Amino acid sequence: MTKRPWLDHYPSDVPHELPAVPFKNVAELIRKAASTYGKTTAFTQVMPNGMNGSLTYAQVDLLSDRFAIYLREVAGLKAGDRVAVQMPNCLSYPIVAFGILKAGLVLVNTNPLYTATEMTHQFTDSGAKALVVIDMFADRLTEVLPKTSIETVVTVKISEYFPTLVNGVIRATQKYFSRTIPKIKVEHTRFGEALAAGSKQFSDEKLKTYLASVDSSTVAALQYTGGTTGVSKGAMLSHGNLATNTLQLISMCGDYMRPGKEIVITALPLYHIFAFTINLLGFWHIGGRNLLVPTPRPPSNLKRVFENYKVTWMTGVNTLFNALLNERWFIDSPPKHLRASAAGGMALHESVSQRWREITGTPIVEGYGLTETSPVLTFNPLGGQGKDGTIGIPVPSTDVKCVKEDGSEAAVGEPGEIYASGPQIMLGYWQRPDETKATMSGAWFKTGDIATRDSDGYFTIVDRKKDMILVSGFNVYPNEVEEQIAALDGVLEVGVIGVPNTGSGEKVKAFIVAGAKPPTEAEVIAHCRIALAAYKVPSSVEFVTDLPKSPIGKILRRELRAQQIASTSNKKG
Amino acid sequence: MFTSLFLAAPVEVSEQDVVTPFEQTLLLGLVFVIMFGLGAGLTPKDLFLALKRPKGLIIGWFTQYGLMPLIAFSLAALFIFQLPIEYAAPVAVGALLMGSVPGGTTSNLFTFFAKGNLALSVIMTINTTIWALVMTPLALFIYGGLLFANNPEWQIPLTNIVVTIAVMLIPVILGMTIRRFSANWGALLELLGGFFGIFFIAFLMATWVPRNWALLASTPWQVYVAAIGLGLFGMAATYGVAKTLRVNGVDARTIALETGILNGPLAIAIVLLTFSGTPDIGLILIVPAMYSLFIVIISTLVTLRFRKSNLSEEQKIPNLL
Repeated sequence: MTKRPWLDHYPSDVPHELPAVPFKNVAELIRKAASTYGKTTAFTQVMPNGMNGSLTYAQVDLLSDRFAIYLREVAGLKAGDRVAVQMPNCLSYPIVAFGILKAGLVLVNTNPLYTATEMTHQFTDSGAKALVVIDMFADRLTEVLPKTSIETVVTVKISEYFPTLVNGVIRATQKYFSRTIPKIKVEHTRFGEALAAGSKQFSDEKLKTYLASVDSSTVAALQYTGGTTGVSKGAMLSHGNLATNTLQLISMCGDYMRPGKEIVITALPLYHIFAFTINLLGFWHIGGRNLLVPTPRPPSNLKRVFENYKVTWMTGVNTLFNALLNERWFIDSPPKHLRASAAGGMALHESVSQRWREITGTPIVEGYGLTETSPVLTFNPLGGQGKDGTIGIPVPSTDVKCVKEDGSEAAVGEPGEIYASGPQIMLGYWQRPDETKATMSGAWFKTGDIATRDSDGYFTIVDRKKDMILVSGFNVYPNEVEEQIAALDGVLEVGVIGVPNTGSGEKVKAFIVAGAKPPTEAEVIAHCRIALAAYKVPSSVEFVTDLPKSPIGKILRRELRAQQIASTSNKKG
Repeated sequence: MFTSLFLAAPVEVSEQDVVTPFEQTLLLGLVFVIMFGLGAGLTPKDLFLALKRPKGLIIGWFTQYGLMPLIAFSLAALFIFQLPIEYAAPVAVGALLMGSVPGGTTSNLFTFFAKGNLALSVIMTINTTIWALVMTPLALFIYGGLLFANNPEWQIPLTNIVVTIAVMLIPVILGMTIRRFSANWGALLELLGGFFGIFFIAFLMATWVPRNWALLASTPWQVYVAAIGLGLFGMAATYGVAKTLRVNGVDARTIALETGILNGPLAIAIVLLTFSGTPDIGLILIVPAMYSLFIVIISTLVTLRFRKSNLSEEQKIPNLL
């Protein structure tokens, strides 16, 4: 075990070590909260015009029991079978996800915006036997299903569990006005029918047997990741991983997560590990009420949510917080009951966090983690010292260190790859032992992110390891060079990569999208020389009209490198 | 029965012909539901936000009661009064009334489709509806006085109009109260009100137009200009005013739609309730009915254009995670 300098910065109500997890599996965690908070509202789904539907803890508990029975008894699934789930945030989601876990099956969260190719890959790779899908996207199944081992398809409606009349209006709008419900050509069962079938065969005995051999080391979910870095692979998250990480993040928030009192906006998709663990499991466990928003695009979709509910908590990514700060209705009337916000998924810009604090008068903290780590590894403590621009300190029972190229631990302030160990680290990649081996170093998980640690134990991300440029044996972090160039007048966007060079191995190249008055190549280089060591200064600059970007707006250096290689080989050829 | 002789409109019209008693009852019922939906569209938060930045609201109020009656008056004076006075006078009364009523709920629906500022549209409608108690009679008094300076026998029954508008405010307040307590019912009633507004037009097309075909066919072009011009010029002028006063694009387009789309059903209801028994009621109804028909076409075209602009100005964020 390494030293843990961060323990001194834990707020007084945060334990250094997480007490033993009192649940054998996630299903027990789910049932415990249901029995404690029975009649409390657990989920409210809010549509952009304010139409809404709700379910209580007891209802979700009962309905997910029925769905578990359906999956095992009617659909005939066996323990450990994978069930893919593909839907936006809606009231069916918790029923389906909890049902799968209660049935001793494995949840495979799938992005509903996936193309047929991406769906096919994820379904075949996971070997899913069943799929629960929102009817709006089910038309792709005609093409996808024959290539997979999926035998059972259950379809859900976006307005499931809404009041009858409201449900009718929403369905009519979808059918006749927006025409978002395609004809489903594959054999499928409607969600309501599946639950009715489950209800017919209901027995507590059966429910018990499903979980008899499900313990903390049993796989609970295959969470796919790495879509932007090549082939998407499934991180095996165990019941122990998920239950522990839920308790870790709750303990890190201390009094900010008050049992039975929180109302949280869930605008990030639950199929992503961030919202899944923090919003769904975390706030369920403490008896909170989740406000499910099917899509925060455009951000005005959140207007009625803030208006009609006393929102106390919000989780989001930088883009979302920033978008809200650009909405006039939000600034004119910031949420009155908000107590805290948590950001993750990508770097939270300091300008955004500062402005968020100014406008809402409440703290916002950034955390860090990966799909492979269930996800939370570090967090800025809400009740203690938060440091903007950092990803905070490790959560209880978690060790994090920065490791240099030579395998030794980096000193304070020195960059190194983040290694993490703790009870939230995945079991491995599904059916990819080689990839698992490559990413583990004993009990340590190698994150591929480069960071520095300060003397207090707070970590700051420097860059992704695979983007690092090696110039004559020196490490150059593209972020650092990009920051310098971005500060120049006339530069709109910049991406920096390494290009092969016979002399130095690699050299730095900058791609710039320029504004009205573009700087010259010489000016860019001269500007970099002022602030950067010589080996970090770009040896060439190329002006381009746009840069390849990920869906969340991150510049894809991988694509830049590929374009570069393609263009050089073209010239040669 | 209408017995005057005039050249321009050879078809004799009576109240019975223009609107049957069944239609009257149905129309009044529809107006009630529409006004109910209007109230249900307003949330206290929207009201608070609108009052916090009242610029759009104030400009909308001005265009509604400053511009529209003036446009109606100008169209009446320039075009309708080219026709023989026996015909022109009642038609002009209808035109003036049409230009002096508040915004309609269909404007909210069009604003929704145009991706405009729905909250502003709803609040403007409610604001102008409440102000109608004072402003509609006032506009009619001023412009009616100017228009009929030489025909003092033409009096607009202002008291009746005030009473009618006051009655129509009741469902608005009921709707607001419901929204306060249930977001679901509020949203449902809001939708219902909007659709009944459209239904009202469809109803006009299906029953009123065929039966009054002869009337429409023999209506002089001057009346068409007035009925079509009111909405079209209203929107164009309002947009110009709003842009000049540096209102942002989305709000300027919202105010333009809102101002140009008047409450046709309300105007017709006012005519039916206040001019009941007047032999010329058929002619008074011509502009409100024709306006209500043409405004759908105008609004649809304008909405398609505005939607494009509004979408291009909407805050776009990428898929999150």
